[in-house]
Amino acid sequence: MVPAPSKREARSRSGISRRDVLAGLSVAFSVGATRARANSAAPISFGINPLFLDSDIELLGKLQGYLARRLGQPVQLVKRRTYQEITALLLSGQLDAAWICDDPYAQHRNKLSLLAVPVYRQKPLYQTYVIVNQASKAKDFDDVAGTIHAFSDPDSTSGFLVTRYMLALRKTTPNVFFRNFFFTYGHRNVLRAVGAGLAESGSIDGYVWDVMREREPDLVDKTRVVYRSPQLGFPPIAGPKSAAGTSTSRGLAEAFMEMQNDGLGRDVLSILQLDGFMQGSPDLYGTTAEMLRVVQAQV
Amino acid sequence: MTEMFSRRVLSRIGAWPLAVKVPLIVACLMVGIAVMISQVVLSRLVKDQETNLSLLTSAYLDGISAAVTPSVLRADVWETFDALDRARTRYAGVDARYALVELPNHTILAASDPVRFPIQSRLPAELERHFPQKDGLIIDSHMGRAWLARTLREEGFSVGRILAEIDIADLLRIRHDVLLTLVLVNGALTIAFAFAGYLLLKQMLQPLGVLSLYVERARDGNVQAIPERHRRRLSREFDRLFSRFNAMATALAERETLASRLAEQEKYAMLGKLASGMAHEVNNPLGGMLNAIDTIQAHGQDAEVRLKSVEFLKRGLSSIRSVVRAALVTYKADADISVLTPNDLDDLPFLIQHEAGARRLRLDWQNQVTEPVAVEATAIRQITLNLLLNACAASPDAGTVSFLARKSQSNIQIAIADEGSGIPADILAILDRAEEVSSPPPASKGLGLWTTARLVHRLGGCIDVDTLRVGTRVRVTIPLRPEKIAA
Repeated sequence: MVPAPSKREARSRSGISRRDVLAGLSVAFSVGATRARANSAAPISFGINPLFLDSDIELLGKLQGYLARRLGQPVQLVKRRTYQEITALLLSGQLDAAWICDDPYAQHRNKLSLLAVPVYRQKPLYQTYVIVNQASKAKDFDDVAGTIHAFSDPDSTSGFLVTRYMLALRKTTPNVFFRNFFFTYGHRNVLRAVGAGLAESGSIDGYVWDVMREREPDLVDKTRVVYRSPQLGFPPIAGPKSAAGTSTSRGLAEAFMEMQNDGLGRDVLSILQLDGFMQGSPDLYGTTAEMLRVVQAQV
Repeated sequence: MTEMFSRRVLSRIGAWPLAVKVPLIVACLMVGIAVMISQVVLSRLVKDQETNLSLLTSAYLDGISAAVTPSVLRADVWETFDALDRARTRYAGVDARYALVELPNHTILAASDPVRFPIQSRLPAELERHFPQKDGLIIDSHMGRAWLARTLREEGFSVGRILAEIDIADLLRIRHDVLLTLVLVNGALTIAFAFAGYLLLKQMLQPLGVLSLYVERARDGNVQAIPERHRRRLSREFDRLFSRFNAMATALAERETLASRLAEQEKYAMLGKLASGMAHEVNNPLGGMLNAIDTIQAHGQDAEVRLKSVEFLKRGLSSIRSVVRAALVTYKADADISVLTPNDLDDLPFLIQHEAGARRLRLDWQNQVTEPVAVEATAIRQITLNLLLNACAASPDAGTVSFLARKSQSNIQIAIADEGSGIPADILAILDRAEEVSSPPPASKGLGLWTTARLVHRLGGCIDVDTLRVGTRVRVTIPLRPEKIAA
């Protein structure tokens, strides 16, 4: 859900050297978060879903550095290929918290507590885009019928659920509506697939598309938006409901919400092009939950 | 037609100077060697390039195979595309125009150029035929492309094929550059060596030119030794050659001198021979003249007798004067009379009348030369006299010796015929050889004819011998020298 910032920009805004970042990461990614916290000195495990870009090592390093300093504890950033894996780790208590998509949150909100919500363009909201290749003649959502479609992830709201919901409203399914479809497990990959012509259309996080338009215009300019969804709650920072109110949970929530007050934190926000984080309400994700309900009703 | 043309070309090339031919042959050989070396270098380069390409593409396919096989097993379009797309720029030396994964059902799972090869489509037939049926590499140098195929196997089963088209323009450009370099370097070397060879050979063959010049002069009768100034910085071979030529030239000059002396001696020998005849010719009228003087002494008072006797005396003296004058003109030393008058021929019978008289020969004399002719008179007279004496000697008793002299625009021709049995072959051979500078004078007989032939040759003329029904006719043709008349 977070776009790829340019490395040059990331480096220029960082107070931490590349060596520090890499050293921190070597610890952070050494093992999966497989044990419960035994004491306050144990590393805090923080999950990041694949919306984060694989290549952005420096961004991850800064985030890890910021959180560790802020919390006074080592922090492990845990990455997995799919949303489902991160969600499973979070729900099973193997992660202290995770930045997850709004779809898993809406699905499991009774088991999860909302720690913080990103603020993008002054609002904790974002949109889903359906994009096509520039060469395509499609003008709206219905024009993408019969195309080869690239989804991001089956548990992604913008990368799957919204489009799936639109099809459900039309009493159809991806198998019928599209000539073929596949998952790329990354919003940037959806862009690449549609830009290269591998897919003729794709479902993508609107925030990612907008940010990447500035950072990788050559890639984004090969695509065009034909549909913008209603505003949805921005993918939140969530923790297991069982850990709500613990010092770690509170510390993590405060660390994110006060990120704009810290130099390194501002670097992270700048790379992400976010205004900051706020205390969100589960009501933000009502639309997402409604979409889930409609889709699940069709199955 | 073509054969005649090529024969003509070959004969013309054969006439080219050695200084041109040898460097040309060297240049041709060098071109041949250059072509051969270039061929070897290029074929080696092509072989090495193909080996390298094979290794590179094999590594390329190994890498892609490892990356895509798990994705192909899951028929994961994105992961397969991602692997192919990333591989495009990660293999130095392999410029893949496209790479794709074909499933066992011959549909495309993903391609690095998805617009050209959409997923689930089939590979176009015109491309299909380029790829090897089995795993391997096919190189087409004309198209500047190479096509690779590698079967993806899992547990011994084929799960798909990777097909890739490689741009080998860089390799071909290197080949072209190498060829161009070889052609330029070899061409420059060939031209340089041919030119240097030409200069060197020209320098080396310079003595041959000098030798040729002096041989040519010797052929024209002007035998000279090669002067010392031409013998500086000579190679040993040419120095030896020049020494031999000079020795030969000296021998020839000596022989020429000897021949001149012999001819001179022959002239005087003939004079001696003629002198006895002349004495006879002088003696004949002398008896009558003495009788006439006796008659005048005895009957001088008789005017008629005195007149007849004096007339007789006058005729006798006139006859003697003609004989003496003819001899004098013929044998006057160092005579250089460049214009022949009709009378120069007409007084010759006086010199042979003894020979003719003794054999009772009839002289058929036709001198059609009526005006001065620009030829060397002394030489013509000696030639004619020699031939007349030979004709008299060859003719049977009471035979006829014919003389005909006539002048044309460009020459004077003298024909003398006898009724003899013909000129013997060995004497005739003297006439043929006498024109050659080096021909030796005959040992015994034929010296007169040899001298005649040499004189004719010196005057630039020729001798023809015709065998008649009865006898032989010798025709001498001498070109005129008009400038002598003008002078």
